[in-house]
Amino acid sequence: MRAIPRALLPLFFVPFLLLSTACQKSSDSSRASEGASTNGKATLVLGAYSVPREAYGKHIIPAFRAKWEKEKGQKLEVSESYMASGAQARAIVGGFEADVASLSLDPDIQKIQDAGLISHDWRKQPHDGIVTQSVVVIGVRKGNPKGISDWADLAKPGVSVLTPNVKTSGGAMWNVLAVYGAILRSEPSEGAEARAEELLAKILANVKIMDSSGRESFLNFERGVGDAIITYENEILVLPEAKRPDIVVPKSTLLIENPVARVDAYTKKHNSEEIAQGFIDFLFSPEAQKAFASQGLRPVDEAVFSEVRSKFAPVENLFTVRDLGGWDHLKKTVFADGGVYDKALAKGRSAGKGS
Amino acid sequence: MHKLEALPALRPSASVRPLKDDKLRAPSPLTRIVLSGLVLGYLGLVLLGPLSALLVEIAEIGFGVALSKLVDTTALLALKNSILLLLITMVVNGVVGALGGIVLVRHRFPGRALVSALCDLPLAVSPVMIGLSFLLLIGKGGVLSPLLEAINIKLVFTFWGLVLGTLFVTLPYSIREVSYVLEELGTDEEEAATTLGASPWQTFWKVTLPNIRIALGYGVLMAMARSLGEFGAVLVLGGSISGQTQTATTFIHDSIEERNLDAAYGMSLLLAVFSSGLLFILERLKKRQAKTQKRAHGPSKQTA
Amino acid sequence: MKPVGFALLPGPGELWVRRGIVSYIGLLVLVPFSVLVFVAFQDGLGAFWERITSDVALSAVGLTLWTGLLVGVLNAFFGTLTAWVLFRYPLPLKPLVSAVVDLPLSIPTLVAGVMLSILYGPASLLGQKFSALGIDIIFAKPGIILALLLVTLPFVVRAVEPVLEEVDPAEEEAAVVLGASPWRAFRTVYFPAIYPAVISGSLRSLGRAMGEFGSIVIVAGNIPQETLTAPVYIFGEIESGHPATAASVGSLLLFIALALHGIARIAEKRVGGRHAQA
Repeated sequence: MRAIPRALLPLFFVPFLLLSTACQKSSDSSRASEGASTNGKATLVLGAYSVPREAYGKHIIPAFRAKWEKEKGQKLEVSESYMASGAQARAIVGGFEADVASLSLDPDIQKIQDAGLISHDWRKQPHDGIVTQSVVVIGVRKGNPKGISDWADLAKPGVSVLTPNVKTSGGAMWNVLAVYGAILRSEPSEGAEARAEELLAKILANVKIMDSSGRESFLNFERGVGDAIITYENEILVLPEAKRPDIVVPKSTLLIENPVARVDAYTKKHNSEEIAQGFIDFLFSPEAQKAFASQGLRPVDEAVFSEVRSKFAPVENLFTVRDLGGWDHLKKTVFADGGVYDKALAKGRSAGKGS
Repeated sequence: MHKLEALPALRPSASVRPLKDDKLRAPSPLTRIVLSGLVLGYLGLVLLGPLSALLVEIAEIGFGVALSKLVDTTALLALKNSILLLLITMVVNGVVGALGGIVLVRHRFPGRALVSALCDLPLAVSPVMIGLSFLLLIGKGGVLSPLLEAINIKLVFTFWGLVLGTLFVTLPYSIREVSYVLEELGTDEEEAATTLGASPWQTFWKVTLPNIRIALGYGVLMAMARSLGEFGAVLVLGGSISGQTQTATTFIHDSIEERNLDAAYGMSLLLAVFSSGLLFILERLKKRQAKTQKRAHGPSKQTA
Repeated sequence: MKPVGFALLPGPGELWVRRGIVSYIGLLVLVPFSVLVFVAFQDGLGAFWERITSDVALSAVGLTLWTGLLVGVLNAFFGTLTAWVLFRYPLPLKPLVSAVVDLPLSIPTLVAGVMLSILYGPASLLGQKFSALGIDIIFAKPGIILALLLVTLPFVVRAVEPVLEEVDPAEEEAAVVLGASPWRAFRTVYFPAIYPAVISGSLRSLGRAMGEFGSIVIVAGNIPQETLTAPVYIFGEIESGHPATAASVGSLLLFIALALHGIARIAEKRVGGRHAQA
């Protein structure tokens, strides 16, 4: 019989490898579902949007782990996943067992609640469940060569604008609402809606790339793409000063509010309700709020905010989603199929073709 | 035929390489340069250029520095996942390739054409659709989810989701290669063996298997290379949960997003070295396959 | 006709092997896709039609198709050329070049996109030179074509190479002896042998190009009706909670892929036919 090629010998070890992996993985998952009670090891799964990566990964999670170990004497293992907010929401609904969801905007947490995974009223948490804030700003090249000073300047011909895809990115929705809302609330109030749609169309005509998340959009800007980017203030502030693009704060812009919530269905399954709630409580603590501030996010804790106020540019006319009618209303009028956004996009395209 | 035999230039069992010195058939140097130049230019534009650009970027950071970023729990766990997927791909596709090739080529059964088409499908399908289809099937609210929940099995956003996605995209490679070879070889040798009294098992082990060995190895290696490079399907099915369902490729993606370019480049470098190794073995196999075919079938080949 | 399965385990064993293989393939491929098609048509044929004929969907599928076809044609030409040069001209670095051709198989599509952005992106030297001429590469259609060419590079080359090696050199010698120019010799001896392989390789590369996602998402720009391809569109629809739309366009792509497979199979049969004759 012909000798089995030597190359195949490793194959014999594979079944053992697989078996041991399978055993390990199943014990991992059963440990996860047993939660804090066994082996002196506790686990927490965080599903977050992409922006606060650094804040969570480098500061808050290590601090919380240390705190938990000190207070409860248990080692805490934290798994983190960062994705575009909408993608993360979909993943959690689709079966990603996050104990805590920290997302970019209210509708994404709402998606999880609508799927039956959140059974408590998360909006009744301190600060209405909002753990960080930011504002929509315009990032420009150093020295502002194109002379951008407000939203209208983004509609000028020859200005290349970056903003992500509303279908996949929470950030994109904030961006669109900032532009739309600013004009909507401007004087004269008659015909404001039409003007808002008009400006949105012109700006969208200047957008050549639609990335799937705010972070990816910003990375592109850093690589030299585009003249101006509509982004969150914190995306710029998280960079060291030397690397920061210049910030242009429009006269009137939107306050971004990022919610956080415990995902009951999974905390019940993992028996991790205590850890999850502990983590969320920790997010509102001065320590965590300072960590968020160090990463450019505006803390919701007033005391911390007054300490760090100098970092953040004041805004003349700051408005919120509530001022525009609330998320439900906006989802129907602006972001539904054929809504304001779709119309503006189409208008922008045909305008671009004509010019 | 006599004319040809008279010509000194012919050697009956020469390698297929054309006779370089024969003035009758040497291509004009101009043609050679132009054609080679065209090909190298094309490869440069499409592949070698971008590849070099990436290598230059990494070199600027320093290869050592880039690789040292991988000595980190998250990176190592991601690598571990990729290696496990690699091994699973190797074993499963080895078996399925051999048996599947035989079944597809030599059996006749209703639906054979459909099964054959299904084997080719993963090549043409976007990883996004793969993710979507599986999510619709085994994700929360999917068709099979009541069943899965009843037996407490979770597939999406776990390692096994990654396995499903990887097996899906690597399905065609080994089956195709084995099918080609089996189609070419025909069943002569097996028939001979049976006539001489060999049992089916003996025939398989001593006649069929050695014949498809190289093609199988080739296909399995390609499947392994493919599994190393898979990104879209494992992203959608696994969720890239650090420490759990992150693979080398999604680690690269996450690192870029975290502005940890050094780690991203380091992992890309490592994957490049790994797959180059695989491809090198592939090249050697290609040569052996060519040689075996020459020996087995002699110089007389198809006529145009 | 009795199944010629004596290569496998004796008797009923063969049948079980067949069942096992068919089940594996069925469960892995057929079932998920059936679910996809089911969801696509769940709301009726009318809804399906509406979803795939929306402006954005149509342009996305159109873009995917024509870039795929272009890439298929380019691959047919350059792939054959590459296989020919590898076969014919003993370049000193031949094993290296040969390995390079296979490289796209294992490069993560994401990294392919990054590579292209580094070399041709707006921030790069080349990118800026081209922009000065008014040509955008990355974030425009040329970028899409480049990315697709990269990931489909091996297909035609790998299909044609073995066929070239099989052609009897005696035939070419005969042609030359009888007075044919090198080009004529190629045309009459090699070309008929390789063109089914060229076609099937091109079709494979078209299929692959149609499904490409990871690199396109990085280099394409993804503007609806401009640089938005079908896979990226499907991704967007999944993300924004429209699985039925995603499934509909996905099913359309699936049907096209199946049709392509059928055509490729026919082309392959012709190669098989030649073998049978010899």
